Amino acid sequence: MIKRYLPLIIVFSCGFFMIIAFFIPLRWFQNTSQTLQNWYTGIINFFVFIGILNLARVNLEKIVKKRTDFGYSIVLLVFLLLMMVAGFFMGGTGGRAFLYMFNNFQVPLSATMFSLLAFFVASAAFRAFRAKTPEATLLLVAAVIVMIGRVPVGYWIWHGFPNVVEWIMNVPNTATKRGIIFGADLGLISMALRVLLGIERSYMGGGKE
Amino acid sequence: MKLIERLAHIDRRILFLLVALAVIIPLLVPMGLPVDITKPVQDIYNMVESLPERSIVVVSADYDPGTEAELYPATEAFLEHCFRRNLRVYMIGLWPGGTTLANIALNEIAQKYNKVYGLDYINAGYKPGGQVMLLSLGRNVADVVRTDHAGVPIDSFPLGRAVKAARDMSLIMTLSAGDPGVLHWITYFRARYGTPIACATTAIMAPQQYPYISSGQLIGILGGLKGAAEYETLVKRKGRAVAGMDSQSIVHILLVIFIAVGNVVLIYQKRKK
Repeated sequence: MIKRYLPLIIVFSCGFFMIIAFFIPLRWFQNTSQTLQNWYTGIINFFVFIGILNLARVNLEKIVKKRTDFGYSIVLLVFLLLMMVAGFFMGGTGGRAFLYMFNNFQVPLSATMFSLLAFFVASAAFRAFRAKTPEATLLLVAAVIVMIGRVPVGYWIWHGFPNVVEWIMNVPNTATKRGIIFGADLGLISMALRVLLGIERSYMGGGKE
Repeated sequence: MKLIERLAHIDRRILFLLVALAVIIPLLVPMGLPVDITKPVQDIYNMVESLPERSIVVVSADYDPGTEAELYPATEAFLEHCFRRNLRVYMIGLWPGGTTLANIALNEIAQKYNKVYGLDYINAGYKPGGQVMLLSLGRNVADVVRTDHAGVPIDSFPLGRAVKAARDMSLIMTLSAGDPGVLHWITYFRARYGTPIACATTAIMAPQQYPYISSGQLIGILGGLKGAAEYETLVKRKGRAVAGMDSQSIVHILLVIFIAVGNVVLIYQKRKK
């Protein structure tokens, strides 16, 4: 019983307290709300620790059982350890060792991964961006105008191109995005209410009582 | 017709090669295409120009090395403008790698303008907690920022002592690559404390921010490398963004050609059936 109802009581009381505190400017409400927020920030730091432990556990298991591509797990764990040693014992995140690895390994490797997108987009543009329906044709025409008008060559071809792009961004794009934002936020409010009232309980896990 | 048949089954490595050439050649042989200035970029520039000297600008490095190519040039151009205008810069980050990366630009540009760490600029480092951290930051900075990025108590610096709450911040500039980022600053900081917010985002995120510009919740946006190039042009800085504009132009033209050819192939295949 306690295992089932205690989380619901905590969520209900904390959640509604935060909503009420938002509208009541009395010192006690504001200070308590601030304390709860500070607790949250502290708990978030534990999540980072748990994340690292989980990452290490999953990859160690992969290495021990010699699963497919376990070599990548070795590289990951070695560099995780190296970065942690450099960060904790060799001058912190501003130290030479940490910065050397950050600037020479993490920055170029991450940038390379992101840059690969350009090649996949090119391939997708050729194979998938097809005017099969009137809606798809409209999307395609808008995309081509934005692609050309968003770069200096568009301005060079015709000085009015950037203005057309700004109109697309400010009118059709904004109208559509607003609709999506309102829809998503209404969904968010109803979901929050379901959690606070204990109707939605999936965050408690599916284990037995 | 044989050509269209061949195009329909073109090896994607040929497309990759063409993209690579379209990127590399303009970098080696620049064309110097003119960079136009759009309103959302001009608005940020005007806002910075309108701030009184010694105002405090919070620069939030909410990105990581993956988006360095787009957001680092924007970081450099914006910091250059701030230091040239004699504004004080308070850096913070919602992403772990952001402040480490942006700190390089911060130190380089601060040195160029003979700025003093702790007095004219400071790096408070990465702060976890997303939206809740932002709510606490606006109410009482000391609740979330106790040390700078190097672990030195923030109160030991004059600028650290000067920033107590949102009311001390004249402008927030978030260099945002996703979540947490610009949306959190707008929803939890601007809405609660009313501090003006500007942003630089990746090109893919830019269209999502336009509703907030038209509602007045966002001053403007530096969208992708093009936005950074526009800001570099405004602050008269010869940076990586303007240099990359020729490549980006040619790649976009190439993509349009790919789309056109792809659709010609589609029409041909339909007629053949």
